[in-house]
Amino acid sequence: MDVTIIIDSLPSLLKATLMTIFLAAISILIALVIGFFTAIIRILKVKVLNEIANTYVSLMRGTPLLVQIFVIYYGLPQIGISLDPISSGVLALSLNAGAYLSESFRASILAVDNGQMEASMSMGMTYPQALKRIILPQSLRIAIPTLSNSFIVLIKDTSLVSVITVTELLQMSSLIIAKTFEPLTIYLVAAAIYWILISFFTKLLDKLEVQSSKYLVR
Amino acid sequence: MTMIQIEHLKKAFGDNEVLKGIDLTIDKSEVVVIMGPSGSGKSTLLRCLNFLEEPTDGIIQIGEYQVHAGGKIDRHRKKVIRELRKKTGFVFQSFNLFPHKTAIENVMEGPIAIHGTKTEEARTIAEALLVKVGLGDRCDHFPAQLSGGQQQRVAIARSLALNPLVMLFDEPTSALDPELVREVLLVIKSLAEEGMTMVIVTHEMNFAKEVADRVVFMDEGIIVEQGTSKDIFLNPKEERTKQFLYKVEAVVTE
Repeated sequence: MDVTIIIDSLPSLLKATLMTIFLAAISILIALVIGFFTAIIRILKVKVLNEIANTYVSLMRGTPLLVQIFVIYYGLPQIGISLDPISSGVLALSLNAGAYLSESFRASILAVDNGQMEASMSMGMTYPQALKRIILPQSLRIAIPTLSNSFIVLIKDTSLVSVITVTELLQMSSLIIAKTFEPLTIYLVAAAIYWILISFFTKLLDKLEVQSSKYLVR
Repeated sequence: MTMIQIEHLKKAFGDNEVLKGIDLTIDKSEVVVIMGPSGSGKSTLLRCLNFLEEPTDGIIQIGEYQVHAGGKIDRHRKKVIRELRKKTGFVFQSFNLFPHKTAIENVMEGPIAIHGTKTEEARTIAEALLVKVGLGDRCDHFPAQLSGGQQQRVAIARSLALNPLVMLFDEPTSALDPELVREVLLVIKSLAEEGMTMVIVTHEMNFAKEVADRVVFMDEGIIVEQGTSKDIFLNPKEERTKQFLYKVEAVVTE
């Protein structure tokens, strides 16, 4: 192992790490919105939309993410929808994560005791009011562990978009290896960066979980 | 003056008819205690009054708000039900306080969410109500930090914060340890003395004797007998009422 290779390649790798973080951050934000509305549609069993939501979740969970990326990047241009690599990657990642998030949102909303909804309704709140003021703050706490798990999976999944030429951390590593012929060193550095990144977010989300559970402590 | 009017109210869960036509008129400031064996439909009746259960048939009127059962669920009907709920406080057996909010925030929730009251004003209202139920020193405690009796008193304050015309109590002391029952009943009694119209489902016989203007005895989805607490407890006419009272008293005397 050559230390100078690590030092030389580090700036490029760190720059690519920014792309990885960007992909994960944008995708999780979109996925949260998709997941939330999909969950609400499925809980309320909204006509027609419910069927669409069920099919969407089933498809996303039932096919490999890599296939989804290929369909979006290589497949869609055939019907006139061409997206650049980054947009394709973000779309695939957020659609995929959205399906998983909708499941955890749904479970966490249903996990809030029914008496909470009854108490809100008996006050004269509307359903959206009760959801926003009473149910969601409690279900969010329940959802945090699964949400943070989904986010960690998402960070790792960003490496898959390297196959459609997005220069994120893994793609950059491969590019550097093509020049230096040091696969072990460079891939280990990449792995270390992923590990540090994920450890950081794990710590952060654990703190959030503790913070949000304060009121349960006697 | 009539405050609550219930006309041939029916409720079925599938094939199981729980309420088989209830007629009941309750005056302003009247305190009505509903008693009966479990499964008699008394809780269902109370829940129907607040449309926590949708009745199958009949008419419910509270104050100026009248709702026909089985009507089309449209915007207008939902709105009338919401208005009716704003004017009726409902106290649950299991309190159902909002666990992520402190005692005072629980009480502030109604004024803020329903009446659009400003936070500071809501705080003043809530503080006064918590003092009234004897919890002025527990404002910033979370429900998990309060005893059952304290939680139920917060729940009562929460309902009162909306200035209801009517208070409905669904077995308010059934989930409490025996030594905590009294503090809750005292609060309810003080409301009775202030002239609040109340419907109370309870098993507390002595309490019923003390506060009820009228006792309604239900069994198998109908009102079997009603009258003053003296009528019902000392001189019941119906066999089913006698049997029920005998069973309940038997526990006490032996």
